Amino acid sequence: MFGELKSILSKVQADYADIRYEKKGETRVTFNGKELTQMGANTTDGYVLRVLKKGGFSSIAFTRGRDAERAVRTAEENALLISRHVKEPVKLANRAGAKESFKPSLQEDSRQVSTDEKLELTRQYNDIPLKHEAIATTTTDYLEITREKYFLSSEGSEIAEDLITTRIGGLISSKDGALIQNVRVGIGGSHGFALLRNQEEEFEKKTSIAFQLLKARPVEAGVYNVVLNPSMAGVFTHEAFGHFSEADLIEDAPTLREKMQIGAQLGNEILNITDDPTLPNQLGFYKYDDEGVPAKRTKLMNYGVLRGRLHSRRTAAAFGEPLSGHCVAEDYRYAPIIRMGNIFIEPSTLTLDELQSEVGNGLYLLDHLGGQTSGENFTFGAQYGYVIKNGHPAEMVRDINMTGNLYQTLKNIVAVGNDLVLSKSGGCGKGQMNYRSCNGGPHILVKDVVIGGK
Amino acid sequence: MMEKLLEMAGRVCNQAEIYSLEEIADGASFENAKLKEIDSTNQSGLSLRIIKDGKLGFAYTKNLTNREELLQNAMDSLKGGVEGLFDFPLTENVRSPDTYDVSIESLSNTTLVEECQSVCEQIAPHTKGQVNVSAYRAIVHRRIINSRGTDLSSRSSAYSLATDILFPGSYSAIHRRVINKKFVKTPRDILQFLLDLYNQADSEAKPKTGKMNVLFLPETVYTLIWRLQSATNGKNIYQKVSPLMTRMNQEIFDKQLTIYDDPLDDRVPWARGFDDEGVACQKFLIIEKGTLKNFYYDLFYGKKMGIPSTGHGYKSSMWGGETVSFKPFPSLSHLFIPPGNRSLSEMISTMKKGVIVAGALGAHSGNILNGDYSIGLAPGLYVEDGRIVGQVKDAMVAGNIFDTMKRAAEIENEQHPGSGGMFPAILFEDVNVATMR
Repeated sequence: MFGELKSILSKVQADYADIRYEKKGETRVTFNGKELTQMGANTTDGYVLRVLKKGGFSSIAFTRGRDAERAVRTAEENALLISRHVKEPVKLANRAGAKESFKPSLQEDSRQVSTDEKLELTRQYNDIPLKHEAIATTTTDYLEITREKYFLSSEGSEIAEDLITTRIGGLISSKDGALIQNVRVGIGGSHGFALLRNQEEEFEKKTSIAFQLLKARPVEAGVYNVVLNPSMAGVFTHEAFGHFSEADLIEDAPTLREKMQIGAQLGNEILNITDDPTLPNQLGFYKYDDEGVPAKRTKLMNYGVLRGRLHSRRTAAAFGEPLSGHCVAEDYRYAPIIRMGNIFIEPSTLTLDELQSEVGNGLYLLDHLGGQTSGENFTFGAQYGYVIKNGHPAEMVRDINMTGNLYQTLKNIVAVGNDLVLSKSGGCGKGQMNYRSCNGGPHILVKDVVIGGK
Repeated sequence: MMEKLLEMAGRVCNQAEIYSLEEIADGASFENAKLKEIDSTNQSGLSLRIIKDGKLGFAYTKNLTNREELLQNAMDSLKGGVEGLFDFPLTENVRSPDTYDVSIESLSNTTLVEECQSVCEQIAPHTKGQVNVSAYRAIVHRRIINSRGTDLSSRSSAYSLATDILFPGSYSAIHRRVINKKFVKTPRDILQFLLDLYNQADSEAKPKTGKMNVLFLPETVYTLIWRLQSATNGKNIYQKVSPLMTRMNQEIFDKQLTIYDDPLDDRVPWARGFDDEGVACQKFLIIEKGTLKNFYYDLFYGKKMGIPSTGHGYKSSMWGGETVSFKPFPSLSHLFIPPGNRSLSEMISTMKKGVIVAGALGAHSGNILNGDYSIGLAPGLYVEDGRIVGQVKDAMVAGNIFDTMKRAAEIENEQHPGSGGMFPAILFEDVNVATMR
């Protein structure tokens, strides 16, 4: 493969260029209720070329090798067009070229497992909720994505890396009259098919929650002290804080950049946050990012003080900060952008019981339903929750969405638990999808959270 | 190429269909009124569906370099036993909406950059807010052939320019988009609208939690529409999980509200004469004067319900993705809400106390199928006695659309591009707003 890529790069006349070719395999098995609605394994491929010329940096994604020459011309023209319009030429942080072919270690390679077996395993999990009468339907989806990446740069990098992501995820819908409740379920990860085996308990547990939600009452809108479980703490860390640790999101947003100064005391002094794509056996693992930069454990917040940031080569140079290896693409259709790998709040000492006692009266919120951020404001949902009365969880509540201000909430995290759980399936849609986006944390206690209710 | 594949598939299956897509697109973006990026893409792809002995097979590729392998992938997928009891349609003489303006071919990235720059220059000096502008142009060529003899193709052109004025410390923005089949200068009145709205909300307002008037701008109406799309989707009707199952021909929304799908309306880009299964498109009522009129289907779920496809089988997903990799699925993507009688400023002037939802956070979250929504305001503008008094922070609007949409008070007299269609602003009464107070 590198021969063809070298030949394309040799046609580029620029200060720097890189090209990534990817072959992407996708295996899908989908059940809607009892019925199998999709099954198949397919392969797609494509190229992404990036060119830095006279201070302008531009990219083009193309499908066919025969379009390479036209793509080279377009990327060069676009880079020159940028260079004519920008006052400060783009620079890339220095990076020595690397040559490596990296294969992740897997507990059972899903590529060696037959499609029949994948189908049967998915069916088996799908059948767990469907045994029960109050379950109206399910969507259960086996998704296996393999990315074989080949990266070549004009600085001599020549890196091949495979990323293999497997998951079985879906939605369990319960129904009582016109009331419908949905619970998400997801298992899997990035280190092998074995992670998908023996997970019946997870499907049983989520099925039971789907029933219980039919009887739960909608939470009342208001301001609460809350305990967030690791899934909720993880999505807070990702949505509210993590995105603003991504240098490309704040680079040209002066008011955000001013707040996110390294050294600023942004959080409560008990708060430590790290992003580490090199954590073995976690969903967000990779060795090299899509600029050929090795991934690095990056401390983002140390006892409430902002200590680091996630970078691409371009932003590391622009901010004068160290490279972190966080510039990642969804696949061959996109140039890479800055993404989180495995981001988490570091655990401390308190047990869940102790956190609930400290809340006294409030809410215990579990399992995120996705979230969104707009800078200082964020919103995300919880699958379910419990009212905490006198330090103990009591009745179940549903229809929970919370909103808040990032900076205020970082200060309002007043206690951190002693457990740490990282997510097993993910999906962050920052313009492109990242199925390996992993987040987590321990249980945490947050004061004064606005809950939207219903 | 495609014909040869169809012929090969025809030899081993009962029916076959090939869908191909080619797309060229270029985009330029300005952040804080400075050029940030220019990116291009040139993609192609193809998918194959086959039906054999009542089973459905599916495969796709980006490069049709190996027909045998693609056909084999589709044949392999038959083994799972996905039901394929429907027939691919024979569609001839579809109405061809006017989807292509040839001038898009010569629209250069230089013009995109200059137009973005011009918009920045017209706005930036008049506001303290950060100005972000992005523009793109795209050319899409689509073709569907099947073994019944259907051979349909279309070429579409699209141009879009989005302008945002951001509130300090956030990506919350007053936003509006221009869309067309060809390059157009962004009208001055749109820029003035953005400036007026932003500058009126310059200070911070702190309303108390409670029920009040809530005005969704066209850009946030999709929050409500997504829930309606879900509840009227043929898949959810077939699976008996829609809260609207038994509500056909009943009045479920305020009488002022009509909502229809019209892929044939070619005043806007992306009009379609046929869906992604080669079924002819039609103007299609979902809600007529508040009354539920139709659920929408593709071939698969139509067959399940014993009715024909309504022409709503699209290869799309909520989160983008590779089009050719998706199987067709019921989708409403050309929605219109007819305009009402009042201008936006008149609507605001009737609000005694309320919020304007100018941006929604978390519209994808919550129990969508049940109609529930609970969104962060990003931004929300607080109105008192008919006047915008400031921006509301840390606030949520929440409800259930089957309650909220009964409370429509006023509809704007103009339509604007929103996600999934063209919508006017809509004012509702007595909706829950939660704030820090």
